[in-house]
Amino acid sequence: MIQTSALSIRKLDKSYQGLRATRGVDLEVAPGERRLIIGPNGAGKTTLFNLIAGEIRPDTGSVALFGREITRLPSHRRVHLGLSRTYQIITLFPRDTLLRNVMLSLLGLSPLRWNPLLRLDRQRPLVERAERALARVGLAHMKHRPLVETSYGERRRVEIAMALAQNPRLLLLDEPFAGLSVDERREVKALLFAIPRDVTIVMIEHDMDVALDFAERISVMHFGAVAVDGTRAEVVADPRTREIYLGA
Amino acid sequence: MNAFRWWRGLVSAFGLLYLLRLLLPLPFANEVIIFSIYTIGCNFLLGHVGLISFGQPAYLAVGAYATASYLYYFGTNPYVGILMGVAGGLAASLFVGPFFVRLRGDYFALVNLALAVIVFYLTQNVLVAITHGDNGLLIVDRLSRTPVLDLSRPNQFFIFALLIAFAVWAFYKYLDDSIYGACCLAAKINENKLRFLGYDDRGIRLLAFVIANTTTALAGAMYAVYLGFVSPEITSPARAADPLVVTILGGVGTLYGPIVGAVVYTGMMDLASKFMSNWELIIGIVLVFVMLAGEKGIWGTLEPRLKRALLSPAAGSRPIKGASR
Amino acid sequence: MIDAHLLTSGIIFGLSLGSIFFLMTVGLSLCFGLMRIISLDQLLYYSLGAYVTYSISHATSYVWLGVLAGAVVGGLAAFAVERLLYRRIYERDITFSMITSFGMLIAGIGAIKYIWGLTPRPVSVPITAEVDILGTLVPIYRLVIIGAAFVVYAGIWLFLNRTMVGKAIRAGIENVEHVEGLGINVYRLFAVTFIIAGTLSALAGGLYAPLIMVDPQMGLDVLAFAFMVVIIGGLGSIKGTFVSAFLVGQVVSLGSLAYAPLAQMAPFAIMLVVLLVKPTGLYGSPLLKR
Repeated sequence: MIQTSALSIRKLDKSYQGLRATRGVDLEVAPGERRLIIGPNGAGKTTLFNLIAGEIRPDTGSVALFGREITRLPSHRRVHLGLSRTYQIITLFPRDTLLRNVMLSLLGLSPLRWNPLLRLDRQRPLVERAERALARVGLAHMKHRPLVETSYGERRRVEIAMALAQNPRLLLLDEPFAGLSVDERREVKALLFAIPRDVTIVMIEHDMDVALDFAERISVMHFGAVAVDGTRAEVVADPRTREIYLGA
Repeated sequence: MNAFRWWRGLVSAFGLLYLLRLLLPLPFANEVIIFSIYTIGCNFLLGHVGLISFGQPAYLAVGAYATASYLYYFGTNPYVGILMGVAGGLAASLFVGPFFVRLRGDYFALVNLALAVIVFYLTQNVLVAITHGDNGLLIVDRLSRTPVLDLSRPNQFFIFALLIAFAVWAFYKYLDDSIYGACCLAAKINENKLRFLGYDDRGIRLLAFVIANTTTALAGAMYAVYLGFVSPEITSPARAADPLVVTILGGVGTLYGPIVGAVVYTGMMDLASKFMSNWELIIGIVLVFVMLAGEKGIWGTLEPRLKRALLSPAAGSRPIKGASR
Repeated sequence: MIDAHLLTSGIIFGLSLGSIFFLMTVGLSLCFGLMRIISLDQLLYYSLGAYVTYSISHATSYVWLGVLAGAVVGGLAAFAVERLLYRRIYERDITFSMITSFGMLIAGIGAIKYIWGLTPRPVSVPITAEVDILGTLVPIYRLVIIGAAFVVYAGIWLFLNRTMVGKAIRAGIENVEHVEGLGINVYRLFAVTFIIAGTLSALAGGLYAPLIMVDPQMGLDVLAFAFMVVIIGGLGSIKGTFVSAFLVGQVVSLGSLAYAPLAQMAPFAIMLVVLLVKPTGLYGSPLLKR
C-alpha cells in the first residue's frame, strides 16, 4: 500500500501582473519528513509557502494535505486540518503576555473561542496546556512577561510554541533562523530537533548551510520552479545547486 | 470578594449617574443615557475589534422606525415596541453584516456611511407610505400605560433607561473579559496572524458587528419611545459621526468612555444651541478639535489617575499583607 | 416599450450626471491613492464652487467666470486646509482623516449657511441652445459638462504619465517611501495633489450649479453617491472612478425612467454586488494594505 503524502503539490502556478512567481511547482513531502526548501532571493519560496498556507490562491494547480484537496480552502480552515506556520518576520500579539499569546493559539482550534460568556482567565485546563507549551520551548519562567519585553530569539521560540501547541501534522517554518544570534540559532535548532516524528516539517531557508544538518530532503527553487530535488547528499553533490548559488 | 470587586465599579458608575439626575434636568439625563447606549456599540467596534463604524445612525434609525411602526400601526405596549426595535436591528445587521465584514477597514467605514445616508433617504423619500416622510411618526399618545414602570412618564422612563443601561454595561464588561472578547481584541491587533491560528476572522467580526449594531438599535428604540416621535432627522447625515466623536471624546475602548463622552458632548451641544442656531458650525469645529486633541479621550486620561488616587492607600498596604502570608 | 426620445435624453442626462460624479470624486480618489486619507471635505469644495459660481455670476452676469472663480477658490481653500490641518494627520490612522474631514464638511456647511443663508439659490444656464441628436433635442450645456469630464480625465492621464510631478505622484501611489528615497519632497507632492483635488471638486460644483438649486445641503445630498462611486470603482483608482461614475450616472438616470425614488437606491445594490464579488471595488488593488 502506498502511503499518502503529507503534502502534495501539483503544477502550482501563480503570477502577479504578468510576473510569474511560481511556475509549475511540483512537490511531494512524505509524512514525518524534514524537508528544506532553499533558493536565492526571489526564487518564489515565500510565494510557495503562502500558497500552501492559503494566504493567496494559485492561478492553476493543486495542493493536497494528507490526501485531502485544499487548493480553494480558506486559510483558517487549513489550520483546523493540521497545518501550522511561522513567519520570517515575527508578528504576534505584542502587548499580551507570552501565556496569553499561546492561549490565543490554543483557542484558535477550540470552539470555546466563540464564547462571549466564559471568562478567559478562568479556563484552567487551557492555561495549563499553554504553560506546558511554553515549558516545551523553555520559556515557562517568563510566562507573564509581555511579548514586547522579550528578545527576538525568545519571540521566535514563542512563535514555535504557538505552532506546536496546536498539535500540527504539518509545520511550515519560514526562515526560522533569520535574525538570530549564533547562540539563539543553536537553541532554536535543538528545539526543532526535539519535535517528534508525527509532525512533518517543511522549512524555507535562504542560506543553505544554516539548516543543512536538519534536512533529510532538499528542494532547490530557482525562478519560481523546483530546479533540484532529492536527498541531502544528492542535492549537495548536484552541480546545478552550485550553479544556482554561485551563478545567481 | 472577587465578584464584588467586579461589580463595584459598575454599581458606583450608575449610582453616580442616578445622582446626576438630581443636579441636572431630567430630559438631559435621559438623553445622556440613551446617547451612551447609542455610543457603546461604536466604542466596542472601534476599541475592541478595530472597525470604524461610520454608519451607526442607520442602525439607530432601524431600531427607532421598527419600534415606532409597531406602535403606530399595530400595538400600544412600549415594551413590545422596544423589543421590535431590537429585533429590527438584529435583522438589519444580520442582513448587511455578511457583506460588510469582508471589507477592508477604509471600505467598511465608507460603506457604512453610505448606508446611513441611504437609510435617511429611504425614510424620507422612498418608504413614505410607512414612515410619512419628513412628517414622521407621532406615537406619543399611542403608548399604553404599563404597570411597574410607565414609560410614558419621563421620570419612570429614566429609571427604566438606567436599568437597561446597567444591563448593557454589565454585558459589555463581561464581553471584554470573555474568551470571545479576547479574540476580538486579538483580531484588532493582528488579524493576519489570527487567521493562521485557525480563527475565522470574518466570523469574529460579524458577531461583533451584530452585537454592536443591535445595541445601537436598542438605543434607537428607546429614543422612539422616549420622544414619542420619529422622523428622518434621527439618521441625518450631518450627525453621522456623532457616536464616533463621543467614542473618541470619551476614550476609545474604555468602558465608561461613552458615558463621559455623552455627558460632555450633550452638554456642549445644549449650551451651544442656546447661543447659536448654527449647530453645524459648532459640531464641525468640535469634531475637528476632538480629533486633533489627542487619542486617549477624557476617560482614557482620567481613569488611570482616578485609580491611582482611589487605590493608593490599598496599594500601600498590599506588600505587608503579602509578607504576612 | 420606452420611448426612444426619452431613452436618448435619459442617456445624455446620465452621462452628464456621471461627468459631475467623476469630477466630484476624482479628488477623493487621488487623495486616497497618494496620501491614504479619506478626504470627505472634497464635498465642501464642491458646494463652495457652486456658491462662488452663484455669487460671481450674479455680480458680473458671466457664469463661466463664476465657474472659473469657483474652481480657483476651491483650490485655494483646499490648499489652506492641507497646510493647516492635513499636515497634522497624514501620519495617523485613516480614522482620523475621515472624521476630521467629515467635521470640516459639517463646519463648512455651517459657514455656508452663515454667509449665504438658508434659501436655495438659482444660477442661470450659460448656454440655453439645444442640439438635435437622433431626433431628440438635447441641451448643449449638458454636452459641455460631458466634454469637460473627458477633458479632465485625459488631462489627469497626461499629467500623471507625461509630467515629472505627475510621474512622481504616480510612483507615490505605488509606494511613498520609494519616492522619498529619490529625494522628492513628498509633502509638496501631497499639497499639489490636494490642490488639484479641491479645484476639480469645486469645478464639479460650479458646472452643476446651473442645473440645480444651490443650497447649503448640496454637499451632503451627494455624499452617498460620492461614496458609492469611489467604492464601486475602487479607492485610489482614477480609471475605476471614471468608469463607475458613468455607471452610477446611467443607473440613476435610466432607473428614474422606471421608478424615480428607487433609482436613487439602485447604485447601492450595485455597490453591494460589486463588493461581494470583489471587496476592493472594480479597479481597486487588493495589494494596497492599510
